Amino acid sequence: MSTIIGGQVLRDMVNDWIGDGKRVGGPGYVGNHLILYRWLHRSDELLLESYPRPHNSIKEFLFPSHEKLYHYKIDGQHIELSEAVLPDAQQIIFAARPCDAASLPILDHVFNWDYRDVFYNRRRSLTTVVTLACQDHDAHCFCTSVGGGPDDERGSDAMLFALGQDQYEVRCFTDKGKALFEGKLEESTRVGKVGPGPERRLDLETVREFLKTDFESPLWERQTLRCIGCGACAYNCPTCHCFDITDEKVGSAGVRMRSWDSCQMAMFTVHASGHNPRSRQPQRQRQRIYHKFEIYPSKFGEILCTGCGNCSRVCPVGLGITPVLTAIQEEQAARAGTGAAQEAGREKVDQ
Amino acid sequence: MTKQLHKVCRELLESGKVQVIIGYGQKDRGQPPHPVFITSPEEVEGLVWNDQCVANLTTYLTRKEIRALGKPAIIVKGCDARAIVVLQRESQIDRSAMVVIGMACNGVGEPRLAKCAACDAHVPAHVDITIGEAVSEPVDPERRYNDLNVFMTQSTDERMDYWQDELERCVRCYACRQVCPLCYCERCVADKNRPVRFSTAPTLKGNYAWHITRAFHLAGRCIGCDECTRACPAGINLRLLNLSVARAAENAFGYRAGLDPEAEPVIGSFSTQDKESFIK
Repeated sequence: MSTIIGGQVLRDMVNDWIGDGKRVGGPGYVGNHLILYRWLHRSDELLLESYPRPHNSIKEFLFPSHEKLYHYKIDGQHIELSEAVLPDAQQIIFAARPCDAASLPILDHVFNWDYRDVFYNRRRSLTTVVTLACQDHDAHCFCTSVGGGPDDERGSDAMLFALGQDQYEVRCFTDKGKALFEGKLEESTRVGKVGPGPERRLDLETVREFLKTDFESPLWERQTLRCIGCGACAYNCPTCHCFDITDEKVGSAGVRMRSWDSCQMAMFTVHASGHNPRSRQPQRQRQRIYHKFEIYPSKFGEILCTGCGNCSRVCPVGLGITPVLTAIQEEQAARAGTGAAQEAGREKVDQ
Repeated sequence: MTKQLHKVCRELLESGKVQVIIGYGQKDRGQPPHPVFITSPEEVEGLVWNDQCVANLTTYLTRKEIRALGKPAIIVKGCDARAIVVLQRESQIDRSAMVVIGMACNGVGEPRLAKCAACDAHVPAHVDITIGEAVSEPVDPERRYNDLNVFMTQSTDERMDYWQDELERCVRCYACRQVCPLCYCERCVADKNRPVRFSTAPTLKGNYAWHITRAFHLAGRCIGCDECTRACPAGINLRLLNLSVARAAENAFGYRAGLDPEAEPVIGSFSTQDKESFIK
């Protein structure tokens, strides 16, 4: 048995949520070609199927690109602080891809580690995530290489499976998901299928072995010299979460803001003295890979990547996680090959 | 053309005339070619040339990591070559300390990039070696500004709505700046924090400030390679801003950036015949 819903009912639900004052974020066209997650005004802005995934991520809905932390007013020696208003609108992220939803339990670690981030956690508690299982993938997708898949349930409150003819199977995983679809579903015998997902092409064990020993490998230089140092990969990554804090002041009053930042930018690590411990672009690329596949897993037990492929999808110079990890694997394979050849050579001599 | 390119590059490296070739490589046929830096003659087979070689490689000429590789030879299309003229005129590169290899080009990108529709530089100018054949024909200036002309038929309100919608999407990843061969400032105004020149947060106000400042800083310098537009992950049509300032420079001063290495840069020169009184 399964539960299903018609596409028109779904679209009506989206319009009702928006009408009720809920914020609904989902994928839609920007211009004629680009598909991005955005806050929706109407359900007809939604684009559900027939493409691999949007070029940005859902993190914007929980961890916006810029956010006011508090207001301040300076009057001589006196400083008056006032808290920023915490968000209070219920929000639904609709038709997200599983590789986006999977980022949320991963991000929960860092936003609740030494400090409980009130803004992130407030939005997280106000958010219900409805994903759409993937039928399609492109050359950039690699979820299956990092423990995910086209119907990965991590982070989803409910998941839709396209049945064709504008019908969807709905699977609810959490109370939030059940509450959202309560009274809307019909019983059925039809069960949704997913696409095959991308072929598994990375072996993380091999990668981590390399990372343990090869911080100084010439591979970093060779492989990442072409990085131009923008933040396109990080800002469209569902798991990258670094931010900068700045004051936006007019006269004697202002706001303290936090905005997305990226380790790929030269300014990211510049000290007050002017010294930059990561003075070269390959060092910054290396940092990105280490943070995702060595540092974050050591600290929180999960890799900081869901295999969405946005990094290489948006990179202007053809970099991103897969090109670098593939090069690491090739390097390891070549070493294993050399090792095996030497082994074989030794055996020959022994004989 | 690729074979000839390999031959030329191999000779350049073998003779020691250059230490590195800045060119295009394509490891995966399913993906567009990407920038590569070839330092030994044995690797030149890795260079590719085809109509998907969209990147303007001249952005690497001013980067310290690439400069450290030694004297370069760089592969350019006609549009890209104009950036070298500007970089030279602005004393950012030593033109005599590099070899510029121009590739005849009949347009790149799938679909063809917007700039290619009004290209008058199919054969690169001011290069040291030209590979391939093409015909460069003059293009009616208005055709170059076609996209801008269509855009300008809208009312002021419509255009403001358009830019608001576009610039709201900007998250300040600075891909536009980083990919730009002429955004070479060591410390960009957007990164100045003592004091902050304009909002570094991707607020709508800050985004307007950033993109308008950048367009103005590129006035009479932008060569129209449209790399900023290609690189923008939010799909913001920065081309329109750049066309607008380029046309202002062309209309007011008869100047197009990167065409003539001898021409006085429009921003770096003045005339006592100027119609504005403040100059006298």
